[in-house]
Order: sequence, then C-alpha cells, then structure tokens
Amino acid sequence: MSESTKKSPAVAILFAWLLVAVPLGWGVYNTLLSSMKLFQSQPAQTMAPASQAK
Amino acid sequence: MSFLDRERSIAHPGYSRWLVPPAALAIHFCIGQVYSFSVFKIPLTQLLGVDKSLPGDWKQTQIAWIFSLAIVMLGVSAAVFGKWLESAGPRKAMFAAAVCFTLGFYVSYLGVITHELWLIYFGYGVIGGTGLGLGYISPVSTLIKWFPDRPGLATGMAIMGFGGGAMIGSPLAIKLMAHFRTAGDVGVGKTFLVMGTLYFLLMMFGVFTIRVPRDGWKPENWAPVTKPQAMITTHNVDVNTAFGTKQFWLLWIVLCTNVTAGIGILEQASPMIQELFKGSIGPVAAGGFVGLLSLFNMAGRFFWASASDFVGRKNTYYIFFVVGALLYFVLPWTGADHLNSVVLFVSISIVLLSIYGGGFSTIPAYLRDLFGTYHVSAIHGRLLTAWSVAGVLGPVLVNYMREYQLERGADRASAYQTVLHVMAGLLVLGFVANLLVRPVAQKYWLPEGEKTMQASRPKSAARVGPALPQRSN
Repeated sequence: MSESTKKSPAVAILFAWLLVAVPLGWGVYNTLLSSMKLFQSQPAQTMAPASQAK
Repeated sequence: MSFLDRERSIAHPGYSRWLVPPAALAIHFCIGQVYSFSVFKIPLTQLLGVDKSLPGDWKQTQIAWIFSLAIVMLGVSAAVFGKWLESAGPRKAMFAAAVCFTLGFYVSYLGVITHELWLIYFGYGVIGGTGLGLGYISPVSTLIKWFPDRPGLATGMAIMGFGGGAMIGSPLAIKLMAHFRTAGDVGVGKTFLVMGTLYFLLMMFGVFTIRVPRDGWKPENWAPVTKPQAMITTHNVDVNTAFGTKQFWLLWIVLCTNVTAGIGILEQASPMIQELFKGSIGPVAAGGFVGLLSLFNMAGRFFWASASDFVGRKNTYYIFFVVGALLYFVLPWTGADHLNSVVLFVSISIVLLSIYGGGFSTIPAYLRDLFGTYHVSAIHGRLLTAWSVAGVLGPVLVNYMREYQLERGADRASAYQTVLHVMAGLLVLGFVANLLVRPVAQKYWLPEGEKTMQASRPKSAARVGPALPQRSN
C-alpha cells in the first residue's frame, strides 16, 4: 500500500476523539455537579410554600 | 503559509472522515467559551479593589458590552468572510479564527493590566468576535461534504461543540482565576493569557486535522438519492443569488424567532425560577437550573440535527414551533401561584432549551437541502445575522416588557406570563415562515457548465460538492 492510499490509523482516530471528549467530559461533569444543587435543595424547600399556598 | 491552502488540505485516499468531526469540535469547543464570559463579569469590576469594587472600577453595565460586541461581530464576520472561506478552504479559515480568538484574549490581557476598557472591547469584542464568526462557519460545508448521507448529524456534532464550550470555559476560568488570585490581583489577566494559549493549541489540532474530500469522493456503500425529493436539491445556488431569494429570508425569520424565544428563557433563567417559586428556590439552586439548561442546550444541538436526517428539516422546525409555542404558553402556570410544580417547570424549560439549540444546529443542513453544498458556509454565515439581531431583540423584549408589566402593578411572578406568551407568539410567526418555505426555483440554480468549469480549475478543484462516480476509502 503506497503512502498516498494508506488508511487513517485507528489510534489516530481514537486520539482525536479523546482529545475532544476529555475536556467535554470534564465540562459535563462540572455542570452536572452544579445542576445537582437544584435537586439537593428541592424537596425540603418546596413543601413550605406549597402548604402556605393552600 | 502555503500549508494552509485548500489544495494542501485535500484528503489522501484512505483518510477517515471520522477525523473531521473532532477537528470541527476542537474549534467549536474553544469559541463556545464566549457563552461563559459572564464568569469574568464580577472580577472585571474589581480589578482595582480586588475584594470589592472601588469608585475607579468598571461597572457591570460597561462589562456587559464586551459579550454583546463579540456576538455582533460573530454575525458580521460570518456574513462578511463566508464567501472568502469557501475559496480559501476550512484550514485557512480555522487558522484565522484561532489567531483572532487568541489575539482577542492577549489584547484583553493588556486591557486588564493597563485598566483600559476599550482594549477589552477591541480585543475580546472585535478581534475575538471576528474569530468567533470565522470559527463557527469554517467546518460546516466541509462536514456536509464528508457526510452527505447524514448532514444533520455532522453539523449537529460541530455545533453541539459551541454549546459545550461554555461548560468547559466556565469551570476552567473559575479555577484559573482562583489559581492566579493574590492579595493585589483578581487573577483575570493571567487567566486570559493562559486560556488564549490553551485554546490556540486545541484549535491548531483542528487546523492540522481538517481535510476536504477529494473531488468526487463519497462514502462507501452510499449512493446519492436519484429519486427527486421536493425539499432536497441536487443543484447549487451561489451565495449572492441565495441572499436574494425568498427562502433565505424565510429561514432568517425561522432562525431569528427560534433564537429570540430561547434567549427569553436563557436571559432570565436564574431570576425567573426564583421569582416563580419564591421561597422554595434560592440562588444556589437557580445556578443548578442554569447548568441544567446549558446541558440540554448542548444535547439538543446534537439530538435534533441528527433526528432531522430522518424526519426532514422542515418537519423538525414544525416540531420546534408547535411544541415550543405550546410549552411557552403553559410554562407560566407551572409557578407557585398555579400548579406549583418545580419539576414541571424544569422539564418544560429543558425541552425548550433543547429546541433552542436544535434550531442552531439544524439550520446548516436545511440550507444545504435548499441551496446545495457549493456555498453553504457562506450562506450560513449571512444567515447568522439573524442571531445577532435576536441577541439584541431577545433581551430587549424580555426586559422592557417585564419592566412595563411591573410598572403597571403586576407582581414579579405574573409579569413573566406576558413575556412568555409573547415568546409563544414569536414561535407562531416562525411556524408561518417555515410553512412558506418552498424549493428554490430553477432560475436561481448555478448552471451545470459553470460548476464543471469551476471544478476543473486547480484553485477550486475540491469546491464542488455533488459527486462524480468515483469511490474510495
């Protein structure tokens, strides 16, 4: 197989995807951590106004 | 600099098209940082006082202009440089985007250390904003040419990166500012320097990985659909011609209304959830809500654009406008005064944000269906002026209507009702615009002879998308 027709190595494709997946994974992880605050503070606090509304 | 030329970036036989999405993502992850610029807002107002703002420090209203300038420049540069990009090729355009975006950070660093705000306006706003526009549209037509079988999936992947950029940029900036913070320095200047350099390196990966397909390349085991499809053209339209068609301006309205409505939620997300559920949701939980919205904004970009390959572009926007209008209409009733359901409010909001993201990522494939691949990046660039307009229109509509309601004596929670119902009305307008979209008339098509002539010229050898019957890879 000549150089001009060689297939892209699977390792190169994997590396390319990892290079973008790792920062994205880190960003998603941080965002999920932040999002958890919505659910963590939710149950106890929603009870009060719901009962007050009635 | 000849290594940046289109001719030098033509893929060799055997090059895997699966290397192209990461190259595009590398660019979009970086420029998507603009959505997290708000993390610099407070530090930039405390450059002199460090722990608090001093009289000589900049005001938040002055800082807000940096982001607005960057978004306006995004639309302007995408519109102005789109046609150049088509001839220069994606590699040169990505390189120019990386240089502009990085230079924007470096000039802003100078602005911070000299405490000259105009340098940040000029750096991050004008130079960086130009990089945003170039970077946003640069991989679009290349991806569409590599994935003629799944153009929605391909552009969805890249534009998803723009949504994801804020998720990376925000924690990165916060951690860097904490690292560089000292008793006399908030650390924002050095953060600009490091972020600019890191982004440049990641963008260079995109620059050197991107390839354009050889003329006539097509995926293995894939044959272009020969049966005519009303809403998918096999012809091409020049960008200047497309600019004068009814279809371009209908899609402009489609994008503008969808983005304006989405900004209605994004702009007010944190105060809205706190005021609709007063007493049950505080600032910390509201911050979590904003994070959740950004996740679904990103996910929607990928999901809806990919789905559009199966359900069709026009039908996808019908879904956006029908579902979106209904959800905007019922959203105010989830508040504490009516159903008092945080779960329902959050569920509806994340669907709406996924629609907002999907509107961005499905539009390039819609343009390709109507105008062909020949100038799709340039046409997309001009269409992004709708985003610039929506970026101003959305916040102005939301803030002024809300103020008007409050002045008339409405309470803070019910003031949102009118705002959200106007957003629902905007989506109805988008629905009508989408309904009126028809295939582009034959008189606008590029003559076949002209296409062939352009394809034979070395400078533009790889420019023409539709395939000749060669197969490789």
